[in-house]
Amino acid sequence: MSAAVTLRPEAKKKAAMSRASKDSVIDVQHLVKVYGGRGQEEIKAVNDVSFSVGEGEFFGFLGPNGAGKTTVIRIITTLLAKTSGSVHVAGLDVERDGLDIRRMIGYTGQSIGVDGELTGRENLWLIGRLYHMPNSLVDERVEELLEVLQLKDAADRRAYTYSGGMRRRLDLGAGLVHHPRVLFLDEPTTGLDPQTRAAVWEYLRRLHREEKMTIFLTTQYMEEADQLCQRIAIIDLGKIVAEGSPAELKAAIGADIITVRITRDEAFEQSRNRALEIARTVSGVSRASIFDEGVSAYTADGGATLLEVLRRLDAEKVPVHQVALAHPTLDEVFLQHTGRQMRVEEVKPMSRSFGRRRR
Amino acid sequence: MVTDVGHAQRVIIGTRDEESSGGVLTEVGLVTWRSLVKLTRTPVLLFFSLFMPLIWLVMFSQTFGTVFSSATSGGLPGGPAATPLPYDYVAVLLPGITVMTAIQSASQSGFGMVADLESGFMDKFFVAPIRRSSVLAGKLLADGLRMAAQAGIILGIAAILTLFGWRIPFATGVMGAVLIMLLAAAFGVAAAAFGVAFSGLSNTVALRTKNTESTMMVSFSLTFPLLFLSTAMLPKALLPAWVQSFSTVNPVSYMADAARALILTGFDWAAIGNAFVAIAAFGIVLNGLAIMAFRAQGK
Repeated sequence: MSAAVTLRPEAKKKAAMSRASKDSVIDVQHLVKVYGGRGQEEIKAVNDVSFSVGEGEFFGFLGPNGAGKTTVIRIITTLLAKTSGSVHVAGLDVERDGLDIRRMIGYTGQSIGVDGELTGRENLWLIGRLYHMPNSLVDERVEELLEVLQLKDAADRRAYTYSGGMRRRLDLGAGLVHHPRVLFLDEPTTGLDPQTRAAVWEYLRRLHREEKMTIFLTTQYMEEADQLCQRIAIIDLGKIVAEGSPAELKAAIGADIITVRITRDEAFEQSRNRALEIARTVSGVSRASIFDEGVSAYTADGGATLLEVLRRLDAEKVPVHQVALAHPTLDEVFLQHTGRQMRVEEVKPMSRSFGRRRR
Repeated sequence: MVTDVGHAQRVIIGTRDEESSGGVLTEVGLVTWRSLVKLTRTPVLLFFSLFMPLIWLVMFSQTFGTVFSSATSGGLPGGPAATPLPYDYVAVLLPGITVMTAIQSASQSGFGMVADLESGFMDKFFVAPIRRSSVLAGKLLADGLRMAAQAGIILGIAAILTLFGWRIPFATGVMGAVLIMLLAAAFGVAAAAFGVAFSGLSNTVALRTKNTESTMMVSFSLTFPLLFLSTAMLPKALLPAWVQSFSTVNPVSYMADAARALILTGFDWAAIGNAFVAIAAFGIVLNGLAIMAFRAQGK
């Protein structure tokens, strides 16, 4: 799947002339988006964001709600106008060449935009035809997708009768009908049960592996970014605070984390402060901090340091409830870069206008 | 799962180039198809958008029919003949009811637009490689077809009423009915463009949700003044002077006058011409707004 196949001649020329680097499919430089203005309060949703995504890469934007993830993805997919900066997809400019960009990308938004009154098959067929695919090819492709997404049995039922997971899969399918070169997914598993989430992950991995598709995903789930993405940018308050592969990001904050949970008694606060002091003085501990249940310490050599920490705590009679040694997760990465725990809002309610219209 | 992606893409791209002329029609057709399929699958909605106007047609013409015939027992004020009119009030009211139905459907179209924006479905259209004007045109075309069909049903029911002794002349027969359907559709599409413009103007979800309610408020509070401050309910000669002057700038009047002439007297080409000019003027302004709203959508 090369650029030469997907671009029309004039688009190819534009691509060649573009300043964007040749091997990156998505190239974002100094992107700024300001909402409001004209009398309203100005909100800087995206504040000087730069990154690029290579051909065939699985790239993730990780951040809490309101970090600016959706704004960025909507600007790249031509759904939203930027305030300033430059955004190129396959060398094409989002403002000048919107139509050409839209032809080669697939997009699955945060709200599930399937039409409840149409059947699953009709939803996919409609999207395929909108991409100017000939009828016979659309039919073939729709059958294929219904099979893969396990919607075959429900294909002729109207989509409002579908479960949340089925709608999500159908919505994902709608972004894939035309074999996009780059797939954009805005929080594709938010609101899904763990089982469906795992199935979606598996399918995305296959798309990436077997079709060599470039995938750009936003998520507020650490685990999702960790499981799927080759490279992650952590975004918070409209700025990228860290970027790299999950392993690199985790390695950057130290190899291991020792977590000591203190027994909950009257002297808890006191014990915890004592434990923090001790942890800080143990050699090999690079950084230690308290959390609601106890103390965590970062170290390069978990095994040896853990023993020393325990020995000291025991000597000082600090009541230890539980001890754990773990490799850092992206949670810790986020915490380190933002100074805040990442809150994840649980299952969002479905858009209220989904399915049968009630007026 | 995919056998030959490259091949599929070559086919897609190749088709795109060959289709460059028919492309827009396909786009518009698909959007229209979607709206119409949706409509046929929610027959309740269709039923209710006809139910109210028909109730009006029957009840209003009964209640006010006697007042109308006594007011016009000597002919219309300023009219030539001092003889009773050869038709019932229902024949005067009929055009007004077709306008009313078109306006109601137009506001429903606005709600549909808001719902599509909220559900994220509109993003599917916006992210597809089609022109935004195709989305708007397809939607409005579906609205127009629906409004023409509704006007046809109302005229058909009125025709059945004549079998029971209601005096509706239908001076221009089927051809006139088709023209009325066309007028109703044109007027309704212009009004629907207003609905789209109004509901699409803001770009944040919170504002949009607020707009669902305000769209409803605006459409309800505009429908009645538009109808009553026009010649849709009564001929101009029977209206108070200030309403008469307002009615001359109300596009509803031109639409009602042309349709009424088609039912009562015959092909009044001047009135029909005026109606289309009024609708076109009204439509250009409102469609311009709708296109601006669509362009700005999400920006």
